[in-house]
Amino acid sequence: MRNINITAIIIFLSALFTFNNANAQADQTISLVTKYMKYPFISDGQQYKALLNGDEIAEFHITFFGGTVYRLAAAAGNDEGNVVFRVYDKQRNLLFTNADYNNSPYWDFKFTSTVDCLIEIQLDNSNLSSGFVYMLVGFKQEGK
Amino acid sequence: MQKNIFISLQNVKTSIQMNKKIYNLLFSVSIISLLGLSSCGGGNQSNVTSEDSLEQSIEEQIDSNATAVIMMNGALFSIPSPYQIAMLVKKKNLDFNEELITPLDYATSYTDYFKKALALGFYGADLAYLTMYDQTPKAVKYFSKIKLLAQDLDISSGFDKEIMERIDKNMGNKDSLMYIVSNSYRKADDFLKENDRQELGALILAGGFMESLYMVTQLTNEIKDQELFYRIGEQKKPLDNLIKILSPYYDKSPQFTELTDKLVDLAYDFENIKIKYKYEQPEILPEKKLAIIKSQTEVIITEEQLQKIKDKVKEIRNFMVK
Repeated sequence: MRNINITAIIIFLSALFTFNNANAQADQTISLVTKYMKYPFISDGQQYKALLNGDEIAEFHITFFGGTVYRLAAAAGNDEGNVVFRVYDKQRNLLFTNADYNNSPYWDFKFTSTVDCLIEIQLDNSNLSSGFVYMLVGFKQEGK
Repeated sequence: MQKNIFISLQNVKTSIQMNKKIYNLLFSVSIISLLGLSSCGGGNQSNVTSEDSLEQSIEEQIDSNATAVIMMNGALFSIPSPYQIAMLVKKKNLDFNEELITPLDYATSYTDYFKKALALGFYGADLAYLTMYDQTPKAVKYFSKIKLLAQDLDISSGFDKEIMERIDKNMGNKDSLMYIVSNSYRKADDFLKENDRQELGALILAGGFMESLYMVTQLTNEIKDQELFYRIGEQKKPLDNLIKILSPYYDKSPQFTELTDKLVDLAYDFENIKIKYKYEQPEILPEKKLAIIKSQTEVIITEEQLQKIKDKVKEIRNFMVK
């Protein structure tokens, strides 16, 4: 009975440690991405997250409105440069990838006309093999 | 059209189930690891062997998904911020129109989480409009109501005392308010996703989206403006996205079913709008970390189509707020 109790305590403490560790990791990653979503950029009010392993790709669909400057920022793990993102139009033309620019953690996009886009997000496996990717989308206040 | 939407909805559900599988696998790995840790000191050999074979099996299952395209946490489809519509409205130099926003006293009749979550969305869109027009005293009242709704829904993140103090300090500073309020909604969105309450997040998005769409469609009564017409037509894809976000909860309650059905019905009317797209080579300015996207979209929307959409949006908005 005593052994079972000790085992239960160890499991509980280990789970607590793992949970706290995971939370600290998430906070660190979120801070890497939110630091690029400061004034004059306004968040779209959503926080995108995906758990990726190996070569898995997360995708999401978004409409960018004409006459607006947007910012995409993405992060995974404890460091910048772990995430590759690619922006396609609805005809699957590649509009931009940060892979051409050292996996830049953010990039701005000026849309002259409204475009429906697909964004693919992937881990750079040479830096990180698995983990949560966080992405934020923001738009610039007019006249700023 | 309806068939297409529901095929897409099915894909969404499958992807969400796949994500859950990965979560379950990782959860199993954690538990197995913890059990392994707790049993250190005796009888290790057989445990290590079974753990190895289990891990191998799990790795094989993960490998089988390695090239799969997965969705982003059930929120794989983005909905435009109500601030974007509010900014467009303000740009048209129209006078402030109180009839475009939902009266605060409506909220007294909201007793269930469904209505309260929708209200959190449409009052957020109203707050964006009020902020744009420097309606500070009203904006304070709307934010206070938003805070109460968030408390009722047990959303602790994004609407806490610290945020309220920041709002108080920045009243009158439009830019700061936009920034603070948008971040509040982002934090609430994250909190709901982290706590497996995504359906509330979906309702908040639905409320905000429909209130913004209501505003911009109603403004066409005051002004015949091509940019406003285009912007209405351009909501075709975001509306599809919203339906996909709501779809996993279609059977959760009769209210969810009714709301989704109404939005699908509205999507039929949007389907008749023609959208022409022409790709142009983007210009990349690495020194500014900026891409200029020059592709062009043309929206072709008739007066009749606009009127039908306007009527239906009003009907859905009334269903939401009353």
